[in-house]
Amino acid sequence: MDLETVKERAGPRQFAPKDDMPEEYRKAATRMIQFHANSEVMGGYLEKPFIRQAPSIDRKLAFSAKVQDEIGHAQLLYRAAESLGVKTRDEMLDELARGDGKFLNCFHYPMESWHEVPMIAFFVDGAAMHRQATLKNTSWTPYAHAMDKVCFEEGFHVKHGESILSELMNGSKATQEKTQAAFETWWPRIIQFFGPTNDKSVHNDFAQEVGLKTKSNDELRDTFLDTYVPKAEKYGLVVPEYPRIEYDGELDTYHVNEDDLNWDEFWTIAKNASEGSHEQINSRAQAQEAVEWVRESMHDWEGASGAGTPQAAD
Amino acid sequence: MIWEVFRQDKPGAYHKHCGNVHAPDRELALQFAAVQHGRRMKTHSLWVVPHDEIGEIDADETSFGGTTDKTYRWATSYTDIEPAAPEVAESEAEQADVEKSLEADS
Repeated sequence: MDLETVKERAGPRQFAPKDDMPEEYRKAATRMIQFHANSEVMGGYLEKPFIRQAPSIDRKLAFSAKVQDEIGHAQLLYRAAESLGVKTRDEMLDELARGDGKFLNCFHYPMESWHEVPMIAFFVDGAAMHRQATLKNTSWTPYAHAMDKVCFEEGFHVKHGESILSELMNGSKATQEKTQAAFETWWPRIIQFFGPTNDKSVHNDFAQEVGLKTKSNDELRDTFLDTYVPKAEKYGLVVPEYPRIEYDGELDTYHVNEDDLNWDEFWTIAKNASEGSHEQINSRAQAQEAVEWVRESMHDWEGASGAGTPQAAD
Repeated sequence: MIWEVFRQDKPGAYHKHCGNVHAPDRELALQFAAVQHGRRMKTHSLWVVPHDEIGEIDADETSFGGTTDKTYRWATSYTDIEPAAPEVAESEAEQADVEKSLEADS
Protein backbone atom coordinates (compact mmCIF):
# COMPACT_ATOMS: atom_id res chain seq x y z
CA MET A 1 0.00 0.00 0.00
CA ASP A 2 1.45 3.42 -0.83
CA LEU A 3 1.34 6.37 1.52
CA GLU A 4 -1.35 8.19 -0.43
CA THR A 5 -3.69 5.20 -0.14
CA VAL A 6 -2.93 4.98 3.58
CA LYS A 7 -3.92 8.63 4.04
CA GLU A 8 -7.10 8.16 2.00
CA ARG A 9 -8.15 5.05 3.90
CA ALA A 10 -7.01 6.26 7.33
CA GLY A 11 -9.74 5.71 9.92
CA PRO A 12 -10.46 3.79 13.11
CA ARG A 13 -9.05 0.23 13.03
CA GLN A 14 -8.48 0.38 9.29
CA PHE A 15 -5.14 -1.43 9.05
CA ALA A 16 -4.08 -4.87 10.24
CA PRO A 17 -0.93 -7.01 10.11
CA LYS A 18 -2.17 -8.63 6.92
CA ASP A 19 -2.03 -5.26 5.11
CA ASP A 20 1.15 -4.36 3.33
CA MET A 21 1.89 -1.05 5.09
CA PRO A 22 4.57 1.40 3.90
CA GLU A 23 7.71 1.76 5.97
CA GLU A 24 6.87 5.34 7.08
CA TYR A 25 3.63 4.11 8.65
CA ARG A 26 5.22 1.10 10.31
CA LYS A 27 8.05 3.17 11.75
CA ALA A 28 5.77 5.94 13.04
CA ALA A 29 3.40 3.43 14.63
CA THR A 30 6.30 1.50 16.20
CA ARG A 31 7.77 4.68 17.68
CA MET A 32 4.40 5.66 19.14
CA ILE A 33 3.43 2.25 20.55
CA GLN A 34 6.91 1.48 21.87
CA PHE A 35 6.88 4.84 23.70
CA HIS A 36 3.50 3.92 25.16
CA ALA A 37 4.69 0.44 26.21
CA ASN A 38 7.88 1.83 27.80
CA SER A 39 5.78 4.35 29.70
CA GLU A 40 3.62 1.58 31.16
CA VAL A 41 6.74 -0.18 32.46
CA MET A 42 8.29 3.00 33.86
CA GLY A 43 4.99 4.10 35.42
CA GLY A 44 4.74 0.72 37.10
CA TYR A 45 8.27 1.05 38.45
CA LEU A 46 7.58 4.55 39.77
CA GLU A 47 4.52 3.41 41.71
CA LYS A 48 5.87 0.05 42.85
CA PRO A 49 7.50 1.37 46.08
CA PHE A 50 4.07 2.53 47.22
CA ILE A 51 2.85 -1.04 47.49
CA ARG A 52 5.15 -1.18 50.51
CA GLN A 53 4.58 2.41 51.63
CA ALA A 54 0.78 2.39 51.34
CA PRO A 55 -0.85 3.53 54.59
CA SER A 56 -3.53 0.81 54.74
CA ILE A 57 -4.12 -2.74 53.62
CA ASP A 58 -6.81 -1.62 51.13
CA ARG A 59 -4.44 0.82 49.46
CA LYS A 60 -1.69 -1.81 49.46
CA LEU A 61 -3.89 -4.35 47.72
CA ALA A 62 -5.18 -1.83 45.20
CA PHE A 63 -1.67 -0.58 44.47
CA SER A 64 -0.31 -4.05 43.91
CA ALA A 65 -3.22 -4.80 41.53
CA LYS A 66 -2.57 -1.54 39.74
CA VAL A 67 1.17 -2.05 39.27
CA GLN A 68 0.42 -5.54 37.99
CA ASP A 69 -2.08 -4.03 35.52
CA GLU A 70 0.50 -1.53 34.23
CA ILE A 71 3.09 -4.23 33.54
CA GLY A 72 0.33 -6.21 31.82
CA HIS A 73 -0.45 -3.18 29.66
CA ALA A 74 3.20 -2.99 28.67
CA GLN A 75 3.05 -6.63 27.58
CA LEU A 76 -0.03 -5.97 25.41
CA LEU A 77 1.55 -2.90 23.88
CA TYR A 78 4.88 -4.54 23.06
CA ARG A 79 2.87 -7.19 21.23
CA ALA A 80 0.97 -4.50 19.31
CA ALA A 81 4.25 -2.75 18.46
CA GLU A 82 5.90 -6.01 17.43
CA SER A 83 3.05 -6.70 14.99
CA LEU A 84 4.39 -3.89 12.77
CA GLY A 85 7.48 -5.96 11.98
CA VAL A 86 9.99 -3.17 12.69
CA LYS A 87 11.38 -4.26 16.07
CA THR A 88 11.09 -7.39 18.16
CA ARG A 89 9.91 -7.33 21.76
CA ASP A 90 13.42 -8.23 22.93
CA GLU A 91 14.91 -5.33 20.99
CA MET A 92 12.46 -2.91 22.58
CA LEU A 93 13.07 -4.24 26.09
CA ASP A 94 16.83 -4.04 25.54
CA GLU A 95 16.53 -0.44 24.37
CA LEU A 96 14.61 0.43 27.52
CA ALA A 97 17.14 -1.31 29.77
CA ARG A 98 20.05 0.43 27.99
CA GLY A 99 18.43 3.82 28.50
CA ASP A 100 17.70 4.37 24.79
CA GLY A 101 13.96 3.69 25.00
CA LYS A 102 11.87 6.84 25.34
CA PHE A 103 9.01 7.23 27.80
CA LEU A 104 6.57 9.71 29.27
CA ASN A 105 7.99 12.91 30.81
CA CYS A 106 6.18 12.44 34.16
CA PHE A 107 7.93 9.15 34.83
CA HIS A 108 11.40 10.74 34.76
CA TYR A 109 10.86 12.43 38.14
CA PRO A 110 11.26 10.71 41.49
CA MET A 111 8.16 10.27 43.60
CA GLU A 112 8.97 10.17 47.27
CA SER A 113 5.99 10.86 49.47
CA TRP A 114 2.45 9.55 49.71
CA HIS A 115 1.19 13.10 49.09
CA GLU A 116 2.64 12.90 45.59
CA VAL A 117 0.89 9.64 44.79
CA PRO A 118 -2.43 11.09 43.56
CA MET A 119 -0.50 13.40 41.21
CA ILE A 120 0.39 10.27 39.26
CA ALA A 121 -2.48 8.00 40.26
CA PHE A 122 -5.22 10.55 39.60
CA PHE A 123 -3.95 13.33 37.33
CA VAL A 124 -1.39 11.49 35.19
CA ASP A 125 -3.55 8.38 34.97
CA GLY A 126 -6.54 10.58 34.21
CA ALA A 127 -4.53 12.28 31.46
CA ALA A 128 -3.37 8.91 30.14
CA MET A 129 -6.88 7.56 30.08
CA HIS A 130 -8.15 10.69 28.36
CA ARG A 131 -5.62 10.10 25.60
CA GLN A 132 -6.04 6.33 25.50
CA ALA A 133 -9.81 6.59 25.04
CA THR A 134 -9.14 8.40 21.74
CA LEU A 135 -6.63 5.72 20.73
CA LYS A 136 -9.40 3.13 20.66
CA ASN A 137 -9.92 4.74 17.25
CA THR A 138 -6.33 4.46 16.05
CA SER A 139 -5.88 3.07 12.56
CA TRP A 140 -3.55 0.21 13.66
CA THR A 141 -5.99 -2.50 14.75
CA PRO A 142 -3.69 -4.37 17.20
CA TYR A 143 -3.09 -1.05 19.00
CA ALA A 144 -6.85 -0.35 19.19
CA HIS A 145 -7.46 -3.85 20.56
CA ALA A 146 -4.82 -3.29 23.26
CA MET A 147 -6.59 -0.02 24.14
CA ASP A 148 -9.91 -1.85 24.60
CA LYS A 149 -8.44 -3.89 27.45
CA VAL A 150 -6.31 -1.07 28.86
CA CYS A 151 -9.27 1.32 29.06
CA PHE A 152 -11.42 -1.40 30.61
CA GLU A 153 -8.93 -1.68 33.47
CA GLU A 154 -7.93 1.97 33.85
CA GLY A 155 -11.26 3.13 35.28
CA PHE A 156 -10.31 1.50 38.55
CA HIS A 157 -6.90 3.23 38.54
CA VAL A 158 -8.32 6.71 38.08
CA LYS A 159 -11.06 6.27 40.68
CA HIS A 160 -8.60 4.78 43.15
CA GLY A 161 -6.25 7.72 42.57
CA GLU A 162 -9.08 10.17 43.10
CA SER A 163 -10.08 8.34 46.27
CA ILE A 164 -6.54 8.89 47.64
CA LEU A 165 -6.68 12.58 46.71
CA SER A 166 -10.07 12.94 48.38
CA GLU A 167 -8.74 11.31 51.54
CA LEU A 168 -5.65 13.54 51.67
CA MET A 169 -7.63 16.73 51.02
CA ASN A 170 -10.02 15.80 53.80
CA GLY A 171 -7.11 15.17 56.16
CA SER A 172 -5.35 17.48 58.62
CA LYS A 173 -4.30 20.96 57.60
CA ALA A 174 -0.68 19.79 57.38
CA THR A 175 -1.69 16.94 55.07
CA GLN A 176 -3.64 19.31 52.86
CA GLU A 177 -0.67 21.68 52.65
CA LYS A 178 1.71 18.90 51.72
CA THR A 179 -0.71 17.70 49.04
CA GLN A 180 -1.02 21.25 47.68
CA ALA A 181 2.80 21.51 47.58
CA ALA A 182 3.00 18.23 45.67
CA PHE A 183 0.33 19.49 43.27
CA GLU A 184 2.33 22.65 42.57
CA THR A 185 5.44 20.61 41.83
CA TRP A 186 3.66 18.18 39.54
CA TRP A 187 1.12 20.42 37.80
CA PRO A 188 3.40 21.77 35.00
CA ARG A 189 4.67 18.24 34.32
CA ILE A 190 1.11 16.96 34.13
CA ILE A 191 0.26 19.61 31.54
CA GLN A 192 3.37 18.68 29.58
CA PHE A 193 2.13 15.09 29.54
CA PHE A 194 0.31 16.01 26.35
CA GLY A 195 3.57 16.94 24.69
CA PRO A 196 4.57 20.11 22.92
CA THR A 197 1.95 22.39 21.43
CA ASN A 198 0.90 21.51 17.91
CA ASP A 199 3.20 24.01 16.21
CA LYS A 200 6.25 22.54 17.99
CA SER A 201 5.33 18.87 17.72
CA VAL A 202 7.65 16.83 15.51
CA HIS A 203 5.45 13.82 14.77
CA ASN A 204 1.92 15.12 15.26
CA ASP A 205 0.87 15.87 11.68
CA PHE A 206 1.97 12.61 10.13
CA ALA A 207 0.48 10.51 12.95
CA GLN A 208 -2.85 12.26 12.44
CA GLU A 209 -2.74 12.03 8.65
CA VAL A 210 -2.39 8.25 8.76
CA GLY A 211 -4.95 7.89 11.56
CA LEU A 212 -2.57 6.67 14.26
CA LYS A 213 -3.72 9.60 16.38
CA THR A 214 -7.21 11.04 16.14
CA LYS A 215 -6.73 14.12 18.32
CA SER A 216 -3.92 16.67 18.40
CA ASN A 217 -1.84 17.41 21.50
CA ASP A 218 -3.64 20.75 21.93
CA GLU A 219 -7.15 19.31 21.69
CA LEU A 220 -6.32 16.62 24.25
CA ARG A 221 -4.65 19.05 26.64
CA ASP A 222 -7.56 21.51 26.48
CA THR A 223 -10.26 18.91 27.06
CA PHE A 224 -8.21 17.36 29.87
CA LEU A 225 -8.02 20.77 31.58
CA ASP A 226 -11.78 21.26 31.11
CA THR A 227 -12.41 18.18 33.26
CA TYR A 228 -9.51 18.12 35.67
CA VAL A 229 -9.14 21.80 36.64
CA PRO A 230 -12.65 21.80 38.20
CA LYS A 231 -11.84 18.45 39.83
CA ALA A 232 -8.67 19.84 41.44
CA GLU A 233 -10.62 22.85 42.68
CA LYS A 234 -13.41 20.66 44.01
CA TYR A 235 -10.94 19.04 46.42
CA GLY A 236 -9.59 22.41 47.49
CA LEU A 237 -6.38 22.37 45.46
CA VAL A 238 -5.33 25.77 44.19
CA VAL A 239 -4.15 25.73 40.58
CA PRO A 240 -0.79 27.55 40.49
CA GLU A 241 -0.68 30.96 38.83
CA TYR A 242 1.94 29.69 36.38
CA PRO A 243 1.64 28.24 33.82
CA ARG A 244 -1.26 30.56 33.09
CA ILE A 245 -4.42 28.65 32.30
CA GLU A 246 -6.90 30.79 30.43
CA TYR A 247 -10.58 30.10 30.02
CA ASP A 248 -11.87 30.71 26.51
CA GLY A 249 -15.55 31.61 26.94
CA GLU A 250 -16.26 31.51 23.23
CA LEU A 251 -15.06 27.91 22.80
CA ASP A 252 -15.91 26.96 26.40
CA THR A 253 -12.49 25.45 26.94
CA TYR A 254 -9.25 26.08 28.85
CA HIS A 255 -5.94 26.87 27.14
CA VAL A 256 -2.50 26.85 28.65
CA ASN A 257 -0.01 29.60 27.95
CA GLU A 258 2.74 27.38 26.62
CA ASP A 259 5.48 29.99 27.06
CA ASP A 260 5.10 29.61 30.83
CA LEU A 261 6.25 26.00 30.69
CA ASN A 262 9.87 24.86 30.86
CA TRP A 263 10.44 23.35 27.44
CA ASP A 264 14.21 23.01 27.87
CA GLU A 265 13.52 20.63 30.72
CA PHE A 266 10.91 18.82 28.62
CA TRP A 267 13.27 18.26 25.67
CA THR A 268 16.15 17.23 27.96
CA ILE A 269 13.86 14.64 29.47
CA ALA A 270 12.65 13.58 26.04
CA LYS A 271 16.26 12.57 25.29
CA ASN A 272 16.55 10.63 28.59
CA ALA A 273 19.25 13.15 29.48
CA SER A 274 18.00 14.48 32.83
CA GLU A 275 19.32 13.32 36.17
CA GLY A 276 15.92 11.85 37.00
CA SER A 277 15.87 9.87 33.75
CA HIS A 278 18.98 7.96 34.76
CA GLU A 279 17.66 7.45 38.27
CA GLN A 280 14.38 5.99 37.03
CA ILE A 281 15.98 3.79 34.39
CA ASN A 282 18.49 2.53 36.96
CA SER A 283 15.74 1.85 39.47
CA ARG A 284 14.51 -0.69 36.98
CA ALA A 285 17.97 -2.27 36.77
CA GLN A 286 18.25 -2.27 40.56
CA ALA A 287 14.88 -3.96 40.93
CA GLN A 288 15.95 -6.59 38.41
CA GLU A 289 19.10 -7.25 40.39
CA ALA A 290 17.34 -7.26 43.76
CA VAL A 291 15.00 -10.07 42.72
CA GLU A 292 17.61 -12.09 40.88
CA TRP A 293 17.49 -14.62 43.75
CA VAL A 294 13.78 -15.22 43.03
CA ARG A 295 14.49 -16.05 39.39
CA GLU A 296 17.40 -18.27 40.43
CA SER A 297 15.40 -20.19 43.01
CA MET A 298 12.55 -20.64 40.54
CA HIS A 299 15.00 -21.83 37.94
CA ASP A 300 16.49 -24.33 40.42
CA TRP A 301 13.05 -25.48 41.49
CA GLU A 302 11.89 -25.97 37.93
CA GLY A 303 15.05 -27.86 37.12
CA ALA A 304 14.85 -30.09 40.21
CA SER A 305 11.21 -31.17 40.19
CA GLY A 306 8.99 -32.00 37.28
CA ALA A 307 7.39 -28.54 37.85
CA GLY A 308 3.78 -28.93 38.92
CA THR A 309 0.77 -26.95 37.76
CA PRO A 310 1.73 -23.28 37.50
CA GLN A 311 -0.14 -21.06 39.97
CA ALA A 312 -1.87 -17.85 38.95
CA ALA A 313 0.49 -14.93 39.44
CA ASP A 314 -2.08 -12.95 41.38
CA MET B 1 -7.11 -32.83 10.33
CA ILE B 2 -9.33 -30.34 12.10
CA TRP B 3 -8.94 -26.57 11.77
CA GLU B 4 -10.62 -24.10 14.11
CA VAL B 5 -12.15 -21.11 12.33
CA PHE B 6 -12.28 -17.51 13.55
CA ARG B 7 -14.40 -14.93 11.77
CA GLN B 8 -13.99 -11.15 11.74
CA ASP B 9 -17.13 -9.39 10.50
CA LYS B 10 -15.56 -6.04 9.63
CA PRO B 11 -12.07 -4.46 9.49
CA GLY B 12 -10.72 -3.71 12.94
CA ALA B 13 -13.11 -6.09 14.74
CA TYR B 14 -11.97 -9.11 16.76
CA HIS B 15 -11.70 -12.53 15.11
CA LYS B 16 -14.19 -14.67 17.04
CA HIS B 17 -14.34 -18.42 17.09
CA CYS B 18 -17.22 -19.60 14.91
CA GLY B 19 -16.63 -23.33 14.27
CA ASN B 20 -14.24 -25.74 12.59
CA VAL B 21 -13.61 -27.63 9.38
CA HIS B 22 -11.95 -30.85 8.23
CA ALA B 23 -9.16 -30.21 5.75
CA PRO B 24 -5.86 -31.89 4.83
CA ASP B 25 -3.89 -28.63 4.66
CA ARG B 26 -4.04 -24.88 5.33
CA GLU B 27 -4.97 -23.91 1.78
CA LEU B 28 -7.99 -26.18 1.71
CA ALA B 29 -8.88 -25.24 5.28
CA LEU B 30 -9.12 -21.62 4.15
CA GLN B 31 -11.32 -22.57 1.19
CA PHE B 32 -13.62 -24.76 3.27
CA ALA B 33 -13.82 -22.11 6.00
CA ALA B 34 -14.77 -19.50 3.42
CA VAL B 35 -17.57 -21.72 2.13
CA GLN B 36 -18.84 -23.08 5.44
CA HIS B 37 -18.41 -20.11 7.74
CA GLY B 38 -17.96 -17.05 5.59
CA ARG B 39 -20.78 -16.96 3.14
CA ARG B 40 -23.92 -16.09 5.08
CA MET B 41 -22.64 -14.27 8.11
CA LYS B 42 -21.09 -10.89 7.43
CA THR B 43 -17.41 -11.65 6.91
CA HIS B 44 -14.36 -9.54 6.30
CA SER B 45 -11.63 -12.01 7.24
CA LEU B 46 -11.20 -15.58 8.49
CA TRP B 47 -8.39 -17.24 10.40
CA VAL B 48 -7.84 -20.98 10.41
CA VAL B 49 -5.74 -22.66 13.11
CA PRO B 50 -4.82 -26.34 13.45
CA HIS B 51 -6.93 -27.71 16.30
CA ASP B 52 -3.96 -29.49 17.88
CA GLU B 53 -2.06 -26.22 18.15
CA ILE B 54 -4.64 -24.78 20.54
CA GLY B 55 -3.96 -25.05 24.25
CA GLU B 56 -6.81 -24.95 26.74
CA ILE B 57 -7.26 -24.44 30.44
CA ASP B 58 -10.73 -24.37 31.99
CA ALA B 59 -12.53 -23.53 35.20
CA ASP B 60 -12.26 -27.14 36.46
CA GLU B 61 -8.50 -26.91 36.46
CA THR B 62 -7.98 -23.44 37.82
CA SER B 63 -9.76 -20.66 39.62
CA PHE B 64 -9.61 -17.76 37.18
CA GLY B 65 -8.92 -14.50 38.95
CA GLY B 66 -7.95 -16.24 42.18
CA THR B 67 -10.04 -17.21 45.17
CA THR B 68 -9.70 -14.14 47.41
CA ASP B 69 -11.91 -11.07 47.54
CA LYS B 70 -10.62 -8.61 44.95
CA THR B 71 -13.29 -5.93 45.10
CA TYR B 72 -10.53 -3.35 45.54
CA ARG B 73 -9.63 -3.68 41.87
CA TRP B 74 -13.05 -2.72 40.54
CA ALA B 75 -13.90 0.89 39.74
CA THR B 76 -17.41 0.12 41.00
CA SER B 77 -16.05 -0.42 44.54
CA TYR B 78 -15.12 3.25 44.94
CA THR B 79 -18.71 4.30 45.50
CA ASP B 80 -17.94 7.67 47.07
CA ILE B 81 -16.10 8.83 43.94
CA GLU B 82 -18.00 10.01 40.88
CA PRO B 83 -16.17 9.15 37.63
CA ALA B 84 -13.94 12.15 36.82
CA ALA B 85 -14.44 12.03 33.05
CA PRO B 86 -16.61 10.31 30.42
CA GLU B 87 -13.86 7.79 29.65
CA VAL B 88 -13.69 6.85 33.35
CA ALA B 89 -17.47 6.39 33.44
CA GLU B 90 -17.30 4.22 30.33
CA SER B 91 -14.63 1.99 31.88
CA GLU B 92 -16.68 1.68 35.06
CA ALA B 93 -19.79 0.72 33.05
CA GLU B 94 -17.83 -2.00 31.24
CA GLN B 95 -16.61 -3.31 34.59
CA ALA B 96 -20.13 -3.25 36.02
CA ASP B 97 -21.31 -5.41 33.11
CA VAL B 98 -18.58 -7.95 33.75
CA GLU B 99 -19.28 -7.98 37.48
CA LYS B 100 -22.93 -8.65 36.75
CA SER B 101 -22.08 -11.63 34.55
CA LEU B 102 -19.71 -12.98 37.23
CA GLU B 103 -22.41 -12.68 39.89
CA ALA B 104 -24.98 -14.35 37.66
CA ASP B 105 -22.70 -17.39 37.35
CA SER B 106 -21.89 -17.74 41.03
